Amino acid sequence: MGVFSVVIGALNQGFLQTLKLFSVTLLGSIPLGLLICFGSMNRWMPFHRLSAADAPRGIVGRLCRILSRLRPVSLLTRFFVWIIRGTPLMLQLIIIYYGPGVVMGHSPWPGGETGRFLAAAIMFVINYACYFSEIYRGGIQGVPVGQQEAGLVLGMTKRQIFFKVTLLQMVKRILPPMSNEVITLVKDTSLARIITFQEVIWAGQAFMKGSHGYSGLLWPLFFTGVYYLVFSGVITLLLGKLEKKLDYFR
Amino acid sequence: MALLEVRSIEKHFGPTKVLKDISFSLEEGRALAIIGSSGSGKTTLLRCLNFLETPDRGSITVRGETLFDAGDRASFSEEAIRQKRLHFGLVFQSFNLFPQYTALENVVLAGKLREKDRTQWPTLEKQGMELLDRMGLADRSGHYPHQLSGGQQQRVAIARALALHPDILCFDEPTSALDPELTGEVLKVIRSLADQDTTMIIVTHEMAFARDVADEVIFMDGGLIVEQGPARQVIETPQEERTRQFLSRY
Repeated sequence: MGVFSVVIGALNQGFLQTLKLFSVTLLGSIPLGLLICFGSMNRWMPFHRLSAADAPRGIVGRLCRILSRLRPVSLLTRFFVWIIRGTPLMLQLIIIYYGPGVVMGHSPWPGGETGRFLAAAIMFVINYACYFSEIYRGGIQGVPVGQQEAGLVLGMTKRQIFFKVTLLQMVKRILPPMSNEVITLVKDTSLARIITFQEVIWAGQAFMKGSHGYSGLLWPLFFTGVYYLVFSGVITLLLGKLEKKLDYFR
Repeated sequence: MALLEVRSIEKHFGPTKVLKDISFSLEEGRALAIIGSSGSGKTTLLRCLNFLETPDRGSITVRGETLFDAGDRASFSEEAIRQKRLHFGLVFQSFNLFPQYTALENVVLAGKLREKDRTQWPTLEKQGMELLDRMGLADRSGHYPHQLSGGQQQRVAIARALALHPDILCFDEPTSALDPELTGEVLKVIRSLADQDTTMIIVTHEMAFARDVADEVIFMDGGLIVEQGPARQVIETPQEERTRQFLSRY
């Protein structure tokens, strides 16, 4: 077998792992993002009664007023989103994969590629869900209030209004920013290389040190770029089609 | 007994009192027009009747059944309100049709969501078609809102409100978002509803229309009912100075 077909074989194998991480991340983060979005938009105020006019004056009164406006679910969710969006995904991968071992003395992850995939997938899902949640929030808030009010006066439940009225209008609105994130995800999967998840970059890089009987080869690493290009091209076409499909309404 | 009894409704947003002690009643089959300058509270009153706002004081009674009583918190629950608000229908100034549904789908959506027995759906669709026909839109049933003119959209919205057989149909400035040419076709539809003895409350700036179509008129100013009485009498020979001042501009 020639060197080219050996390299392509190895890169294909690596790219299969890339694809796996990519699809699991999308499947997990799209619904989880909605959950996080609902969390950050949650208006539950358990202490709202404290704002009553008979609240005491002075420090205690001021504390009461602050507490009365507290939305714990929203606050906690937004704090979590801040942590995830405020730190590098690469660092998060290192922490989730090596952190438990450092703290507990032994790693909870299964050995080998399975454990690395699991750790990477969980971290990617959480990370992307946080970004998606903010896009969703913008999408939901962009749907005019009148839509919700129209549903309400027609006796629809909040759930029916969300699923039958708001959701599709939101999807239409968020498609362009979501496309951006999805394209970014195609390339971000390479960050899992940091915990030696054997995706396509790892497979290409291996030919420098020595892999399948070849070493000192630089071009396989360069060649991985073609995989990303082709794949993001396909994704762009698919998302464009979806956008067209929602062109039937405004 | 009057179909609708509104007693001592009050509503404030923060320190601003928008409605102060609003009481009136409406007999079945009568049309009531509410007139007044912007900010007089007429839209808020309509929104209170449709439970889009919760009054701070007062009660709303339809056919002897108390739908809302500010003194009785049980009448506040979301589920209780959802059932009771169907006594009222509301047509919005900005139509608020659901853009992703065709004209017919807009009309029948809420009914379908309430009817679990799918074998009844063809009946609902037939009724929906009849309503669109009454609105002169039989040939537009498959059009999406953005393919319709403003006047056509508003007529679909009227059909949508009628589909749930409300006791009282409310209009919130139904022609204010329309250019003069399209205003006529919507007013014509409302006039025909009045001729068929539909009980209606119409917030409007069309004085001639209010005089000719409504049975009674309420003039509101600063959150108060300043004058009420037979439509022709209030508009042609107003008793109060403030009413005269307002009407002199028309």
